[in-house]
Amino acid sequence: MADPVDSMLDLMRRLPPTRVDENVNALIQLCPDYADDLLGSVDQPLKVHTDRATGREYLACDYNRDGDSYRSPWSNEYDPPLEDGTTPSPKLRKLEIAANEAFDTYREMYYEGGVSSVYLWELDDGGFAGVVLFKKVMNPSSPDDPSGSWDSIHVFETAERGRQAHYKLTSTIMLQLVTRQNDKGFEDNSSVAACSDKKNSEQHGKKMAGEVNLSGSMTRQTEQDWPLHDASSHITNTGKMIEEMEIKMRNLLQEVYFGKTRDIVYDLRSIDDLERARRQRELQKELVGFIKR
Amino acid sequence: MSQEVDERIAGVSSFVLQSPPGEINDVLNDVRVIVNDDESLEQGILPALRDYNLAQFITVDVPGTSYQTIVSDIARISSDDEDEERFLDPRSKTSFKFDHLRLEATDSRPEESDVEAEPLRTALESSALSYLAAHYHDGVVAIFSVQPPNQFVVQIVANKYNPSNYWSGRWRSHYHIDFDTKMIRGKILVNVHYYEQGNVQLETSHDLAIPIPPAVVNAEPSSASSKILALIDVEESRLQTSFNDAYHEMAEKTFKGLRRALPLTRQKIDWDKVLGYKLGAELTAGKGVFASS
Repeated sequence: MADPVDSMLDLMRRLPPTRVDENVNALIQLCPDYADDLLGSVDQPLKVHTDRATGREYLACDYNRDGDSYRSPWSNEYDPPLEDGTTPSPKLRKLEIAANEAFDTYREMYYEGGVSSVYLWELDDGGFAGVVLFKKVMNPSSPDDPSGSWDSIHVFETAERGRQAHYKLTSTIMLQLVTRQNDKGFEDNSSVAACSDKKNSEQHGKKMAGEVNLSGSMTRQTEQDWPLHDASSHITNTGKMIEEMEIKMRNLLQEVYFGKTRDIVYDLRSIDDLERARRQRELQKELVGFIKR
Repeated sequence: MSQEVDERIAGVSSFVLQSPPGEINDVLNDVRVIVNDDESLEQGILPALRDYNLAQFITVDVPGTSYQTIVSDIARISSDDEDEERFLDPRSKTSFKFDHLRLEATDSRPEESDVEAEPLRTALESSALSYLAAHYHDGVVAIFSVQPPNQFVVQIVANKYNPSNYWSGRWRSHYHIDFDTKMIRGKILVNVHYYEQGNVQLETSHDLAIPIPPAVVNAEPSSASSKILALIDVEESRLQTSFNDAYHEMAEKTFKGLRRALPLTRQKIDWDKVLGYKLGAELTAGKGVFASS
């Protein structure tokens, strides 16, 4: 029999991305023993918290969680407060502070808004690992306006090898886009009923109302070596890698979201008359045969 | 069955109902490992499988014919005996028992049709079959006459499953045609799943209201039915075209608004500078303007 964790992860790759939180919770209810495996391997939309000490927003995920508390990258404090919450060593914390500032500049330049957070932690083998997070949400200003959200989760591990460092980066981007499409006069069922009561004159038009929702996540990995001058090189190195990865993945998302899914809809239904196209092809074949004779 | 197993099955039933097009067996395989009690699962999951099949317009080969029909709530022949649930294929005027796990029809037997409604239903069926051939690549259609008189239901489903290229799609249309109120009320649902190194899903849901012109209501069955299907054709094509508008809006407004392709400078970030500014700012704050670097 397969490993339950593999089955749960396969399931999460199939079920609707819009219901990740709900389904992860249901799986944890079903198999509490695997809660840590699940929370550590399934990417869930990032939560925005506010740092009580600085008033600044930060992102909460499994990487800055200790029990039920989350650590802010700005004040290094846990909320709700923890007496003995895990924090990076003073040296790594210094790098974490610098990384948060650098990636906050990156966030402003690419996202022009949103929230960023960087968390670092020591690895047992002497190296360290980290996660760089970005989140931006666009709320509709009216119910018919499109809305969306973008969550980037970049997890990296690094090992120093003399004047070089080796990096392993796993990047996941969760993207949700929603558009409502309403013909005027189709706000609710009563208005439709009112239309059909107009003694069926042909003046009232056809009505359509609905929603288009494109959601999901994509994950990519890369491994690279970069030169190491001092500790801050880790920020420039991961910065370049993450920037390159986000550019690549943004193109990929664009291709899949707006290209692939649309093509599949056209593989189901055709606006053009398929029967007519078939007849034309047959006619062409006949003509070719006729000319050859 | 123990209470614990009961709870597990209730939990996984929700996953079954969320299965993407053509992936029910993959979801069932995952669920099997999670429940880890095949015997209880096989019995316990049947209600969820039945709900899924009816909601998703699952298609089945009609015994003794070369075509498929749709297993849905409308096709269900009401009966007091739950074990005796049968489904109608209006085209062959037969009914069958349906195995919701193996998706097979058995025990076919003839059914009497509504003599009053049959001429118009047959005409709608013939127009719908032509419409299907013209606009769907792998579509199945079923037309039912329902009570009260002068009402018909048209259901269309088209599936494309391409697991080797990691995608699947389903288009469902449901129309309630009412010749008394002279209205067609429709619902169109499209689901697309793209899962190569990710999980991206398109979900659309639209309600339609199409008035039937009085001239059509009073026409001969063959002429009335071809006009009804022409009305449906116009609206379905209008909807499919409107997806392009929604995609355009999501790509141009939401996607670009969430994250830029490049910073305003049209250049990638100079990471040494970003870090330099920050470190510089930190140092100058302590030591005065000229003391940095």
